[in-house]
Amino acid sequence: MTIAKQATPPTNVRRRRLSSRDNLVLALLALPGIVWFVIFSYGPMAGLVVAFKSFNIRDGIFGSPWNGLANFRYFFASGDAFTVVFNTVFLNALFLGASLLAGLILALMLNEIRGGPYRRFMQSVIFFPYFVSPIVISIMLQVILSGVGGRGGLLNNLLSVVDLPQVAWYTEPGAWPWILTIVKIWQLGGYTSVIFLAAITSISEEVYEAAALDGASRWRMALSITVPLLLPTFAVLVVLGVGRMFFGDFATIYAIVQDNGVLFPTTDVIDTYVFRSLRMIGDFGTTAAIGLFQSVVGFVFVTVAVLMQRRFQKESSIL
Amino acid sequence: MSAIEQEHATAVPRASSGATTAQYARKSARRKPEAFATISYVTVTLFGLFCLVPLWMIVSGSLTDESALGLNGYSLFPQPFSLRAYELLFTGQSLLNGYVASLFITIVGTILSISCTASIAWVIARRLPGISRPLTIFAYIPMLFNGGLVPFYLLVTQVLHLTNSWFAMILPLMLAPFLIFVTVSFFRQMPEEILDAARIDGAGELRIFFQIVLPLSKPILAVLALFYAVTYWNEWFTGLLFISDPDKFPLQLILQNLISNVTNAASLPSSAGDAAAPVYQLRFAMTVLTVGPILLAYPFAQRFFVKGITLGATKG
Repeated sequence: MTIAKQATPPTNVRRRRLSSRDNLVLALLALPGIVWFVIFSYGPMAGLVVAFKSFNIRDGIFGSPWNGLANFRYFFASGDAFTVVFNTVFLNALFLGASLLAGLILALMLNEIRGGPYRRFMQSVIFFPYFVSPIVISIMLQVILSGVGGRGGLLNNLLSVVDLPQVAWYTEPGAWPWILTIVKIWQLGGYTSVIFLAAITSISEEVYEAAALDGASRWRMALSITVPLLLPTFAVLVVLGVGRMFFGDFATIYAIVQDNGVLFPTTDVIDTYVFRSLRMIGDFGTTAAIGLFQSVVGFVFVTVAVLMQRRFQKESSIL
Repeated sequence: MSAIEQEHATAVPRASSGATTAQYARKSARRKPEAFATISYVTVTLFGLFCLVPLWMIVSGSLTDESALGLNGYSLFPQPFSLRAYELLFTGQSLLNGYVASLFITIVGTILSISCTASIAWVIARRLPGISRPLTIFAYIPMLFNGGLVPFYLLVTQVLHLTNSWFAMILPLMLAPFLIFVTVSFFRQMPEEILDAARIDGAGELRIFFQIVLPLSKPILAVLALFYAVTYWNEWFTGLLFISDPDKFPLQLILQNLISNVTNAASLPSSAGDAAAPVYQLRFAMTVLTVGPILLAYPFAQRFFVKGITLGATKG
């Protein structure tokens, strides 16, 4: 997604012919990286043949007998296919919309805070959750939603203060898309606001000065200057998110939901489904078929996204 | 010399925008404070609290006596105060093992990652005819398409035989294509004159890379180090897949184990594997000790992250 801009012509000096020794040295520098890509990126692509095989460990990846499209049929015939595909796209759309909106609002508001140290401090605070690992998030969420002994938790205690009934959150699948969305806002709100703030600083101050002369309020400026000028950046971030739409957020979701089957109807995404069928059932063929299906559809999403991004990128001041 | 120039180039716009911001502060100070500004202060402060309270509850819980934790399930203030969990953790073997594993993975992984990222990025950045362009595409394709979990799992377990090795948690994460491209764009901003001067003095490609390019690239190397280090420190998915020996668990995996076996006293990371062990307090203490290093490094490292994101965003 990043090579679009690198088309500036090379300088003459760099065009100069290199000696074969220099070429060899440079090839050696690139070698570890190339070897890594071959093994860890291109190797697994070749291994996708497993999706068309009835795999067993003894015969190995290439020795196992072929079984055509049986693996795919098995997955799509099971009722799970629709659920996990829907959950993946739906949850990703929720996460993307919520974190971008939160980031945009936070950036606009941080921009209004003029006290330097306080603003820097708050920026550090809201950025920090980005570095907290999913497992730790899961532990925090348990404290809030169910308490340690399974009795209460902070949220239920707050509910009882205002005389609302207690909820056993971990057996309530309907609430989880929203709970996970709030987790995502917590995790990514600050991170996204950093990107928007960077875009805000690149907006020319003269525009604001002109607006101030015309007597515009700060709110007016935010709404009529900052937001429209941030739209291209917003569009690029949307497009990038759409490109990842078919890949579930395995780490966060699995860390939080674990193997709690009650919540699967609303939280099971392709990635967690694939992980479970590999670990619990050990069905390599079907799991690889789902993976291939995900990669192919994901590829379409990403390619469309990259093409769209190139259009928006020309207009975006920062991305 | 050029490092100074670069510092200047980045410092100048920041200084000028700082000046105009100051002007604004003066202007708005003369007017009465706007409702929008007030709302902003309140909202941002509330969001800050929203970010901090869960963390605080973990810290507070780790210092609260198990008896109080058993009643409420959480604690907003450590009362009654107790250090029992930390005592148990520090006298036990499991925390030490976890730290050794996490540190090994993070340190070895980060060193490998930085070396490979910087060197392949430099070859791409050199714009060598017939090499750089294909290499760019070669590193770009994995961002669009991947083989999925099963071939990857089979690769690590059946081909590389890395089960129960820490390298199963290092090698798969070694290169991030996105960071390669961020590094390439940084390298391409390097002033050409210095490299030419070195070439005229007869320096070879290897010498130019190690003695000129790398020393001038400390900012980007710091960004790489931090992004990779946090990734390795927080990694647990590959651990879940490939590490089954509890003695080799890194911290995140010990925590994961604590979530899935809440009541299993045997899985507790302490010397006291008995029923009287403060189960919940131990979980919180373990969590604090896992986030701790990041929390400690954060104030120093944060500006590099901001820099990295902005660099990735602007130059990407």
